[in-house]
Amino acid sequence: MNISLKPAETFRGDFSARNSDAAILRFPFPFPEDVYMYGVNIEPHVRGGPTAAYDAVFDIDEHYLGECEDRALTLIDDPARCQVLPHMIEAEWDTLELLMESLATDYPDLFNLTKNRTAWRWQNRPLGIDHSFIFGAAQSLPCPPFEYITRQVQGDFTLQDQRDNNLYMDGGMVTSQADWSLNFDLGMSFHEWHGPVPVAHELGVFDRALAYLLRLQYGKPVRRLNWTLTVNPRLDTSPENYPLWGPDKATVTPEDIGEKMCLRVELQTLTRLPRSNAILFGIRGYLIRLEELVRVKKYAKRMHRVLRDLHPDIVEYKGMPRYRQMIIDYLAPFDDGEILSSGTAPDQTRL
Amino acid sequence: MGLNKSRPIYQKLQLDPQGRAHLIVTDLDALPEDVIEADLALSNIESWVVARAAPGIAASPPGSRAFRSVADLLSHLAHHLAREPVGLRLYAAGTEAFLWDVANIARAAGLSQDEVFLTQAGSLRRRVYCTHCKSINEDVTTNIATCRACGAHLFVRDHFSRRLAAFMGVMVDAEMPGEIPAIEVIYP
Amino acid sequence: MKARIENIEPLSATIKRFTLAPEAAKLFPAGAAGAFILLEIPGPSRVWKNAYSLISGGRRETYEIIVRRVAHSRGGSAWLHDHAAPGQLLEISEPANLFPIARAAQNHLLLSAGIGITPFLSYLPVLQAHNLGFELHHCCKQDEQEIFRPLLPNLPNVTLHGSRNSLDLTALLSAQKLNTHLYVCGPEAFMDGVIAAAKKIGWPDAKIHEESFGGATGGAPFRVNLARSGVALEVASDQTLLEALESAGLQPPRMCRGGACGVCELPVLEGVPDHHDHFLTAAARAAGKSIMTCVSRAKTPELVLDF
Repeated sequence: MNISLKPAETFRGDFSARNSDAAILRFPFPFPEDVYMYGVNIEPHVRGGPTAAYDAVFDIDEHYLGECEDRALTLIDDPARCQVLPHMIEAEWDTLELLMESLATDYPDLFNLTKNRTAWRWQNRPLGIDHSFIFGAAQSLPCPPFEYITRQVQGDFTLQDQRDNNLYMDGGMVTSQADWSLNFDLGMSFHEWHGPVPVAHELGVFDRALAYLLRLQYGKPVRRLNWTLTVNPRLDTSPENYPLWGPDKATVTPEDIGEKMCLRVELQTLTRLPRSNAILFGIRGYLIRLEELVRVKKYAKRMHRVLRDLHPDIVEYKGMPRYRQMIIDYLAPFDDGEILSSGTAPDQTRL
Repeated sequence: MGLNKSRPIYQKLQLDPQGRAHLIVTDLDALPEDVIEADLALSNIESWVVARAAPGIAASPPGSRAFRSVADLLSHLAHHLAREPVGLRLYAAGTEAFLWDVANIARAAGLSQDEVFLTQAGSLRRRVYCTHCKSINEDVTTNIATCRACGAHLFVRDHFSRRLAAFMGVMVDAEMPGEIPAIEVIYP
Repeated sequence: MKARIENIEPLSATIKRFTLAPEAAKLFPAGAAGAFILLEIPGPSRVWKNAYSLISGGRRETYEIIVRRVAHSRGGSAWLHDHAAPGQLLEISEPANLFPIARAAQNHLLLSAGIGITPFLSYLPVLQAHNLGFELHHCCKQDEQEIFRPLLPNLPNVTLHGSRNSLDLTALLSAQKLNTHLYVCGPEAFMDGVIAAAKKIGWPDAKIHEESFGGATGGAPFRVNLARSGVALEVASDQTLLEALESAGLQPPRMCRGGACGVCELPVLEGVPDHHDHFLTAAARAAGKSIMTCVSRAKTPELVLDF
């Protein structure tokens, strides 16, 4: 796959990050219908989908350099954003193998992996990395295997240990989260770490999702989408740093909401790992400013309808009450009531 | 919004008839009567309490072993579990932070969820983790607490971490600094 | 995926070790300790799908399995013994794991009998590589000791018992500390005995792990009516309900084919199921509204399923 990488833009401070036209058209829009409600909404993770964001096993896009830089800065500030419990060491190697093999296969211009039994050589051209190491020998890498590879991939990752008919989040690299704490949630079971999510528990969503994931097979990964809203294209919206980004939420005005308010979508993947039998949960985040999003006519209209009719508990949980009406007012002029196609594809090839 | 699903729900303790031996521990000076349905036919039951006859000196209540402090009891517990053969069941009754300190010692000793039973008794006071500075604030009885380490005004959430044995505290006035809801004692 | 039989080594008159190599890709996916693969075995009139534990651990260049020729075999193991030859291609599944090492546990007690040793052979390299505390006790018949001895490492914590009597089960179990997990694999009678002895001294369910070997091989024939497919079938005495559905060209859900994973569960609309699985709770079994098609059969002459 050929992609052109932008020089590193910022996802903090001056927020220079912007989406090119190509990035807007490949954005994984999360609303297939005009109304949104929680559901298990899992589908097979195959190469290919409504937009180009689904073409690779682990998607790399134009923001690669900026996102890797942002992760590195967050880890300097708070190393506890990457933790793996000791018994998950096999899952760390499984993850390293999976990510290196996938990236080298999907982006041969950017990444290369050569193996001679356990003597591996990994080349990451965009980051200027050329490293030979022994697969399985942690001391041959500059940092633990999970941290080593996830520093070079976009999106957060967590490791789920399967035991006692349950899944336990026993590790993670979490620097671009939508407001949850790895240090607090580390070690929690499936229902525990989903504890704060409203409505869905009563619908039995998590019971069914857990039963499904316990049977997840090797070679058959699955995916789903999650979404929220973020003020400014800020990757690190952690609860840890809420004192830093919380105040931004009250600064949005009708004049700057198009530039500042971002739709944040997570393309989540779930993959069974071979040696550890653990599940790798990938949380690949995408940010798009409203003024970029509305250039896709279908997205402007649909988003207006979804937010207008959203369940109040979901509005509350996604932290929207302060500006929901302002967003609806911004989007309303774009919505002429046209009947839109089902599904999340943009229905236009140019902006 | 309903109760956070990570928040533990407790039931009265019931001695497990499958167990070979039973150890009941509490951070109170006596086991409350209504927390356990004890089958008197089961033998091999030991009970530990925290009670002092005088500063630094444990009491000698009948039928129980007394410790000078919670720290003393927990230290003995770790030592005891490392030497016990299979078949022990462990029960804890008392304040919530104590329960999960016991659970963590049990887990470190290799006990599974089938072997450890917890029930909350006495004060509802909470141990609160400040998400912003990673500090622990003990004995919080109010809905909003000021972090003693970094000064943040924390909303005490129901989201609970068994690993940290603490409730999550997140800044309540980040968006509008100084705008703090009424502070009430809700965990007496 | 396709695999080529690379080597067949007889270990005894009834036990053979098979080495398989990847045909298309250069490497197999790594198997976890305790993982199994399904082999599609081409018989003269039907295809069998048998599950075998990988004994080759995480090795990706080849897979190794051990096949015992089952005395009253429905055909699969007999075909492998009598007709398989190096160079042949077989369709195999990707590895799945229903019997993993409890990696968070501190101490591991492994008890096996007969061919039940196979998953533990894949455990050993992992337990040793990560310095995990363990003890392995393997029971076999007196005259089979020389078959199993070469398969086991010469370590003080690995013991081969040539008769059941040399293993003092209650003493061994009672001596274990609170941090030990118990793993059992072998014929059903052996496993039932070990688990009963463990529970008697208070061993908790959460620390007992079992791998079932040799599930139901057949039973009385019965009819099955598929309400949504509009198909009625006979399930013969030597085939499972799942195999009957597949032979009719249907594609019901399935994975482990051993009654453990729950994937093949189908709703029962009429009739009484005869449960042989390890997945349903006691309450679910009593309710009789579900059936695991891979191992369970019927108590009534007919079942109607929602499929």
